[in-house]
Amino acid sequence: MKHIKYIALAFIGGLSISCETNFLEPVPEVAVSSAGYFQNDEQIETGVMGIYDAIQGVNSTSLDDNRGVQIEYYVTEMRSDNTRTKSQEGEAAQFEEFNVTTQNGLVANYYRSFFNVIYRANLVLDNLENATAGSSAKFEAEAKFARAYAYFNLVRLFGDLPLVDALIGPLDTDIAFTRVPAANIYELIVSDFEFAANNLDNSQKNRASRAAAQGLLAKVHLTLGNYTQAQVLCESVIGGDYSLASNFSDIFYNESNNEVIFAVGYNPGVEADSQDFSAEWMNGVGRTAGVNYVTNEAIEALEAFGGDRATLSYRQDLSQATQYQVTKYLPNGEDGGADGKSFNTDATMSGNDWIVLRYADVLLMHVESILAGGQATSATAAISSFQQVRNRAGITSSVSEITKQDLLNERRVELAFENQRLFDLIRFGVAQEQLALFSGANGYGFSATDLLLPIPQREINLSNGKMTQNPGY
Amino acid sequence: MTHLSYIKNSSKLAKAFLCLFAMTLTVSCDFEYELPEAGSITDITAPMASFSASQSEDNYLSYSFSNLSSSAINFEWDLGDGNTSTSKDVSNTYVSEGSYVVVLTVSDALGAKNTISKIVTVVKPPAPAAKVPTVLEASFEDNTLPDGTGDGRDSWRNDFGGVIQITSSPVQDGKQAAKFPSAGDRVAYQSGLEVTPNTDYVITYYYTIKTSPEGSITLNVLGGTIGSLSEVSSKSLASHVGTDQTDANTYVKVDLEFNSGANDAISLLITNEGSESRLDNVSIDLK
Repeated sequence: MKHIKYIALAFIGGLSISCETNFLEPVPEVAVSSAGYFQNDEQIETGVMGIYDAIQGVNSTSLDDNRGVQIEYYVTEMRSDNTRTKSQEGEAAQFEEFNVTTQNGLVANYYRSFFNVIYRANLVLDNLENATAGSSAKFEAEAKFARAYAYFNLVRLFGDLPLVDALIGPLDTDIAFTRVPAANIYELIVSDFEFAANNLDNSQKNRASRAAAQGLLAKVHLTLGNYTQAQVLCESVIGGDYSLASNFSDIFYNESNNEVIFAVGYNPGVEADSQDFSAEWMNGVGRTAGVNYVTNEAIEALEAFGGDRATLSYRQDLSQATQYQVTKYLPNGEDGGADGKSFNTDATMSGNDWIVLRYADVLLMHVESILAGGQATSATAAISSFQQVRNRAGITSSVSEITKQDLLNERRVELAFENQRLFDLIRFGVAQEQLALFSGANGYGFSATDLLLPIPQREINLSNGKMTQNPGY
Repeated sequence: MTHLSYIKNSSKLAKAFLCLFAMTLTVSCDFEYELPEAGSITDITAPMASFSASQSEDNYLSYSFSNLSSSAINFEWDLGDGNTSTSKDVSNTYVSEGSYVVVLTVSDALGAKNTISKIVTVVKPPAPAAKVPTVLEASFEDNTLPDGTGDGRDSWRNDFGGVIQITSSPVQDGKQAAKFPSAGDRVAYQSGLEVTPNTDYVITYYYTIKTSPEGSITLNVLGGTIGSLSEVSSKSLASHVGTDQTDANTYVKVDLEFNSGANDAISLLITNEGSESRLDNVSIDLK
């Protein structure tokens, strides 16, 4: 019996010696986890793909899933004077009515989705040491592009934000819940986009490219009022590999055409890789009765300034004649037959790519950079860019001067329903005036503080009082 | 069995507690109105007044005020010109330029108030005047730098070629002009000339070339700066190659138009080829 004691003692001793971290936290052999992964280029590239996957979002009817860019129209276009819900129901209608609550699930989902993009970008940036010299800079550039893109969207929607530029854990609450001034967020955005522009080429459209970084950086500089820097970037893209599609509808239905600079890719019929916004914009085809329906104000603008673009951008709802639908992203390019809602393919698993940046946008940003905050310009370079966009739409009358209002109108009809309108109104300094008029005419409740979304209440709750809410909520 | 009896006992106990509890409840009812503040919570979200003002794009006398107050439901605006409002956001058109004290008083449902005032200065925004760049040592004269020094070519020195020579005859203006020997190895370069982007300018200068051998003198207007001569073609906004060799003593005037494009500053680069050349009196003006 005495011997057994010794044996037990030896055994316990052996146990305590072997209790190293790899014993208590073993790397799983049959499942993949981020610890111990990212050993080579191939594995790191899957991390990069994961970032795009986060932007793409989950095609799901549950707001527990990160919906990514698939629900972006709610927080952008439907808060502008371009679109609204069809039947003014549920939390979706809070956007058009300008009474978004701090508990709005779509707002919380967008916030979480894009901070997830930032997390996944930081994950790649944290694991670059195993990348080969040839690939490291490209991976870094793609991750920084995505981080800047996500932050640029978030900072324009929410204002001051937590600045997360590295991997953080659940205990890093100081970083996760301290709102830093938007100016500091913009510093990170500018340096990330600059790195991306210097280290990428133009070989991809569904992944980051040099032109995509330059174009989005130009928009950042326009937002910040750095007009000359924006102009240089626009001219660099204009002198490059892109051109206007000759037919306006080809932009949306001939994917990866030469006008597209950066688009979020989707594939039809595959749940993990498709989108549902095309279906949601139809009459009762998706989960909702119909959202992102066209306002009368947008129809007026399209008819007045759109030229050919009017008929290619919206249509009367064939099942409900008083309502009008967006036709820029019809599910898989199908028109829905006689009632406008009968599709041969599964519309809720559509494959239309979501265009983030296209050449026409860059041409109009070029005009904006030359206008440089002024009221009008007659500079030849501006008129040339402006005229190209109008010519394609069949408006060939020559222009000798472009006013700020002309440019805003042109952007509205060229980029209608592409989630640009709200940001354009804010950037042009007319959002409060314009949206107050729109709100008054429709009986909505706009006030100046509605230009920023509320920080989701669950973030504020989790922050234990550290995080402050935006004014007006 | 022991368990059961425990439960029985405890249920008796519970009954006793319940009685006691009911008694305290009835008793405490009498004190309810005598202790109105006990248990009440102080208002930790007092109203905070805040607003921002922005000038209208098309009428400088009009201002939009964005109400950024928190925890407030009533708003009183005094817009400083006698106009008042109780709307959340307001806009106001002032009669004339001047300083106005705008006061916003906000209150919540408890009647707690907070006030903020800001001075709004209404002025017509100055029309942005286009910059006219000043060329230093434009006529290659001695002591013409802003501080009264200089040998007429200090502003034109560079690493792209040898320093230009100074001639006193013939000149077009003053006592000196720039001289470029026939070897073509001298280069004049001046950077940092500030311009307004996307503005039409005209640069005027005078040159003359010896009648033989065949030669030319070229002036390039460059956007920004260059680090080497290989960048000239990509950064050139305009250039003129002067080839008039009819008379070595008569200067030829050149008016070269250019648009500053996406540049805050431009540079000038002057080179020659083949024959001894002179250049004088450079000036830049708005077109």
